[in-house]
Amino acid sequence: MTPENQVRFDKNTAVDFVIVGSGSAGGILAKELSTAGFDVVVLEQGPFRTAADFTHDEIAVTFLHELLGGGPEVHKHTFRDDESKVAEVPQRPVVEYVQGVGGSSVHFTANFWRFHDVDFKERSLLGPITGTNFADWPIDYAELEPYYTKVDWDIGVSGAPGPFDPPRSKPYPMPPIPVKSSGVLLEKGAKKLGLHAQPAPLAILSQPFNGRAPCINCGYCMGYGCEVGAKSSTLAAMIPQALATGRCEIRAECAVFRLETGADGTISEVLYYDPEGKETSQKARAVVLAANGAETPRLLLSSASAKHPDGLANSSGFVGRNLMFNGHALANGVFEHQLNDYKGVQVTRIIHDFYESDPARGFYGGGGIDARPLFCATPILFALAGTPMDGPGWGAEYKDMLAHNFSRQMSILGSTTSLALDSNNITLDPTHKDQWGRPSIRLTYRDHPDDLAMCGFLRDKAMEIFDAAGATTSWAYPVGPSNGGAHLLGTCRMGDDPATSVVDRYHRSHDVSNLFICDGSSFVTSGRGQPTMTIMALAFRAAEHIARAARANEV
Amino acid sequence: MAALVGSPLLRARLPGLVALSASACTARDKAAQFEVLTAPEARELEAIAARILPTTDTPGAREAGVIWFMDMSFGSIMKDNLEFARSALADFQSGIPAAFPGATLFSDLDEDDQDRYLKTQDQTGFFGFVRFLTLAGFFGMSSYGGNRGNVGWKLLGLDGQHAWQPPFGYYDAEYQKGEPHDA
Repeated sequence: MTPENQVRFDKNTAVDFVIVGSGSAGGILAKELSTAGFDVVVLEQGPFRTAADFTHDEIAVTFLHELLGGGPEVHKHTFRDDESKVAEVPQRPVVEYVQGVGGSSVHFTANFWRFHDVDFKERSLLGPITGTNFADWPIDYAELEPYYTKVDWDIGVSGAPGPFDPPRSKPYPMPPIPVKSSGVLLEKGAKKLGLHAQPAPLAILSQPFNGRAPCINCGYCMGYGCEVGAKSSTLAAMIPQALATGRCEIRAECAVFRLETGADGTISEVLYYDPEGKETSQKARAVVLAANGAETPRLLLSSASAKHPDGLANSSGFVGRNLMFNGHALANGVFEHQLNDYKGVQVTRIIHDFYESDPARGFYGGGGIDARPLFCATPILFALAGTPMDGPGWGAEYKDMLAHNFSRQMSILGSTTSLALDSNNITLDPTHKDQWGRPSIRLTYRDHPDDLAMCGFLRDKAMEIFDAAGATTSWAYPVGPSNGGAHLLGTCRMGDDPATSVVDRYHRSHDVSNLFICDGSSFVTSGRGQPTMTIMALAFRAAEHIARAARANEV
Repeated sequence: MAALVGSPLLRARLPGLVALSASACTARDKAAQFEVLTAPEARELEAIAARILPTTDTPGAREAGVIWFMDMSFGSIMKDNLEFARSALADFQSGIPAAFPGATLFSDLDEDDQDRYLKTQDQTGFFGFVRFLTLAGFFGMSSYGGNRGNVGWKLLGLDGQHAWQPPFGYYDAEYQKGEPHDA
């Protein structure tokens, strides 16, 4: 429920900032800009849930997509794997994100890997890759490091240093979460193979922090909202502070459908549907778009006008392009004794030995490996998808296997780079509309062959680790093209050249001077599979620059 | 119940036993009526569910009340799938007389024949759908009508506890006893 006593701003008087979206980036920008003394209206299309609203209801959360605001039947997002095809509404959500205050930081698994220096300048280090938009970021790790540290200390991150970590200016604010059996087994296998397992950095509290309670090891992290607020979502860590300033109004269940520009080409007001579905608008001096890597390009493309015929902020044609999901490779293993991996957080150990691209592999790519229950965290998902692919799917033998394996099974997950391609993109679906009547998000995606090769590489490593760790049974899932994703990266990339990027290094649109865009869409490269910490670091950095520009009357 | 499974009497598909199993289907809730499903539909769906998660030395789909989950779902969260379920069930049944002369219903068959028939059907969308409903009804929260007495969770060793403390399992307990990690 939206707090009754929050400040209310007049819709017809321009506020300093309208922020579209309240997730990993929007929540931080709301807190930072309101704390800096600006009046802020946050428009969030989903409801204002609080920790008390979150449950362990697997049917509602995993299968009815409660936190996503419903499934494909509601959003009507469409998918195709090639631009020559007509996109269709599939059965599973194609772009997954939470609709609600806090955005996907509410339901994410909370793996919090910093990017490494290579992630920012890999194009220079490795050279071009034909047919891709592989490029360097306009900023580097050193530039972002203070903001990663700010995320550690302001949001709340637990962890311990590992052998491949980039340098950090301050230690973790709290020790890692206690290791689980899956982490122990990953470490055992890694040691035998000469690899280096390290404690997983997590946006989950291992100790009381900033007035928030630590993790109670309930096991419902991945896909669920945290019932005790121990997961460091912006809902738990930022929104209360934003509201406490008295300068931030959060309007939940308000779905933005257009950014309106005035005669001078800058944004004058933000058009949205109110909770009753009525069209309304909020006037603003400046707009921060933080709606995620799928919603952000949809809104820009939906805001075309005579002055901006190809969509707002899209003179480069790069709005919606270069979508990167991160690839995944998965193997499951069963062990003699009970792991009970349904208890506690998902991930407690990771391996970063394969982080960097290695020409000896014969393809571009890097990735990370983690150990987690995945399927055997929750019963329905486990029964539905967690048993061996060549084993029985029903009957007494199947039932016995469920009973035996649930507490003895774990997964090893590999997460990889994705290359930026013109052909992987978000566009407006020409036919379908969502429940508000907005054009559906049309996803076009096919992984680059190198991305799939890297997935295959990590899948083989996962099987080697299971062998080395002494699994009694293990099996790997086939590597294949993505038909959807939750990491929505690259669709409004940052860069110094307005011809090949959408925002500048400070997240300001090259085309529209009072428009800032900051979320996963700002990414130039995909990293190795855990983007949220970088989204948050970018948001802290962007907020600082945006506030400075606003104070200097340069917005 | 387990002792009767596969008994020659059941294999004979005696009409009297069919009636008996039909009444067994609703025995747990004598007073309750199905909200959406007809009794014959419920009998068929429950018979399929009971082969997906059979009653063994532990409770199966019948004891978990999976059919009540299905009935409740078809009136709520699965409303849009009811029409599909009905027509697909009819398709599913249509092959039975040819495969088992004299029988028209899945629930007419003894359990061995039910398994035989399901093996010819388990790649269909209908079977996948009923399997999903069975698993959701067996392992979902009991507020959805199934998982009675939390028998689904108990099968996996879960007891609905809401918070845990390490050590969680065998390997982390052993690890804690051993040398500290040198991260």
